Amino acid sequence: MTAPTSGVTPSFDPSRGPTPRRKRRFLDANDAVLARVLLAPTFLLLLVIVVYPVCRLVWTSFLELSLTSGLPPRFAGLENYVSLATDPEFWTALTNTLLITLITVPAALIAGLALALVANLPFRVRWPVRLSLLIPWAIPLAFVGMIGGWFFQSDYGLVNDLLRHVRTTRIIWFNSGWLSFMAICLTITWKTSSFVALVLLAGLQTIPDELYEAASVDGAGVFRRFLSVTLPMLKPSIAVAVIFRMITSLQTFNIPVTMTRGGPGTSTVTLAMYIHQNTVDFLDLGYGSALAVVLFLVSMAVTAFYLRQVRAQP
Amino acid sequence: MIRSARTLFVLAALFALPAHAETTLTVFISSALRPEVMRQAFDRFEAANPGVKVTAQTGGATSDLQAQYLNTVMSAKDSTLDVMLLDIIRPAQFAATGWTVPLDKAVGDRTAFLQRYLPAYAEADSVDGKLVALPAFADAMFLYYRKDLLDKYHLPVPKTWSELAKEAKTIQAGENNPDLQGVSFQGAPIEGTVCTFLLPYWSMGKTLVHDGHLTWDRDAALKSFALWTGLVKDGVAPRNVAEIVTDQTRKDFESGKAVFAVLWSYGWNLFQSPDSAVKDKVGVAELPAVDGGKPVSCIGGWQWGVSAYSKNQDEAIKLVRFLSSPEVATLLAEKASLLPVFPDLYKDPAVLQTVPWLAAALPVVETAKARPVTPRYDEVSNTIRTQTNAVLAGSETPDDAATQIEARLHRVLH
Repeated sequence: MTAPTSGVTPSFDPSRGPTPRRKRRFLDANDAVLARVLLAPTFLLLLVIVVYPVCRLVWTSFLELSLTSGLPPRFAGLENYVSLATDPEFWTALTNTLLITLITVPAALIAGLALALVANLPFRVRWPVRLSLLIPWAIPLAFVGMIGGWFFQSDYGLVNDLLRHVRTTRIIWFNSGWLSFMAICLTITWKTSSFVALVLLAGLQTIPDELYEAASVDGAGVFRRFLSVTLPMLKPSIAVAVIFRMITSLQTFNIPVTMTRGGPGTSTVTLAMYIHQNTVDFLDLGYGSALAVVLFLVSMAVTAFYLRQVRAQP
Repeated sequence: MIRSARTLFVLAALFALPAHAETTLTVFISSALRPEVMRQAFDRFEAANPGVKVTAQTGGATSDLQAQYLNTVMSAKDSTLDVMLLDIIRPAQFAATGWTVPLDKAVGDRTAFLQRYLPAYAEADSVDGKLVALPAFADAMFLYYRKDLLDKYHLPVPKTWSELAKEAKTIQAGENNPDLQGVSFQGAPIEGTVCTFLLPYWSMGKTLVHDGHLTWDRDAALKSFALWTGLVKDGVAPRNVAEIVTDQTRKDFESGKAVFAVLWSYGWNLFQSPDSAVKDKVGVAELPAVDGGKPVSCIGGWQWGVSAYSKNQDEAIKLVRFLSSPEVATLLAEKASLLPVFPDLYKDPAVLQTVPWLAAALPVVETAKARPVTPRYDEVSNTIRTQTNAVLAGSETPDDAATQIEARLHRVLH
């Protein structure tokens, strides 16, 4: 209940009267304070778990800080970045990471789309199809890597067992850098296409049946309907799936670690593995941080691209 | 009145509890190094030290995995672990990082104290004049062979690698079993592969590091690569050797799939187990030499270190002193075929009764060579294992690998 505080005012205009106006401003301020108070924990949390570690990481990347040296940290400016630029192993790791992204993202997209289309068919009992879609997604990455390692093992691996029917000599997958790389890409594709399929399946279910009916009336066949209805309507979901897949594939670590340990030689080492090696194995925190900053920047670039895409969409 | 008195009593008892509370020591051990036998040693310590409880935390099965875990825990200055079992290649790193408590004060006269141990371990645990850890048990690489097959073809135990290759081919041809490997050794990018590379290199009388400086011999390195790739080419070693990890060698030999195996001492106990296909058919010998070279082994073994972040350092030091005693060494030798760090025990009749090959093991352990001692050992190891693995896989030429190893080791060792 609002009541004028003074009866002196001869004519009362609620929009101009001093009391309601003051009250409104008062409420505004209150709201703003309340909003800040409510948001503060989130910001604090972000500050502690995101902003601080990232700043610390960037700072460490300018230090010469190796725990095995027994020396205190020393400011080294861009030294770590200079040695990074001339480190052939870094370039191998970066190339491998980008290649894995270039190969497995489109592969997972195609496989995932096919799986989503199958899962979207009007089965009478839907759960077995949905469940089989979920399983690869639900298995931890390291397990998938170990399973992949067994599959391609030359002696008792399933892949060589199947190939035995068509070939006389067995392939030793992990003796060749190229074959090891392909084995890893196949395993990553298997693991990640179910994630893509789940995202696309959700997208497929939002496409109204009327569109297909209308297209059929217009004489469009199955293929035409897929190209003119399904694909355009699915574009937002495809964008989401591709960007998420790209970010995770830039961070590829578990599967090659458990499948090949980066071998033979360094032919399947990824950037994330190289960071892990320098920080956790070699305890060279300065150099490891510089490497991590590079991965951070690459991931940021992809994320920025994603955000622009999302904003561009209606 | 009575009630409040009772309450007071209960409260007093509650506050008094911490004074009598038990100290719990957490010991980090490997899941592959017989935790159940280690437990027996902890039980004995608990019995002799009322008020102290020892719990074991088992970590990764391989030295690499344990190092990754310990590096993470210790660089976070975590106080969870009180005592850690460290591979022989680690004390230099733990000394440089300051992750273990120096034990000099705890043992009194260090030189006199260390005299009881095998010299290799006394040396490995003294870094920059400080006692970093205490020896737990010894290890070295041995040549395991199929006694039954060697007898069947009237062949002697090989003294050189070329003899080994010849004998293996004879047996492989005679047995006519395509699954029978001549020799199994490690070629995957793991710690054991560092020893694979170094065995022939050392056998030629070359060293890798002298007085902290790199003493790289390219010719010896190329010959080492040539020896192993030659065994693969001749069909004596499996073509997939680049996949073979330490325990795969153990499994292959245990299931009767290899005539010879290059492996650590832990294999013996398992080869004699009831499930083993080669029970009572196994012999152990010194590793072969290169032609014209000396037989040599790669030294292994483990050390007990006390964490610098432990909150119970006094009790932890007491535990470590007990664990590094002849009593525990005897237990580990008898129950788990883990080699003692005390030379006297290799001649102890009671111990020899259960582990008869111990007498033959002593000269091997005494002459086994140590991998480079440096705080940056992980970098040394990584370089050697990746390049050796690439050569064995055939994805890199021995020439390129030798160049790479030299360049990278120069960065670490100068």
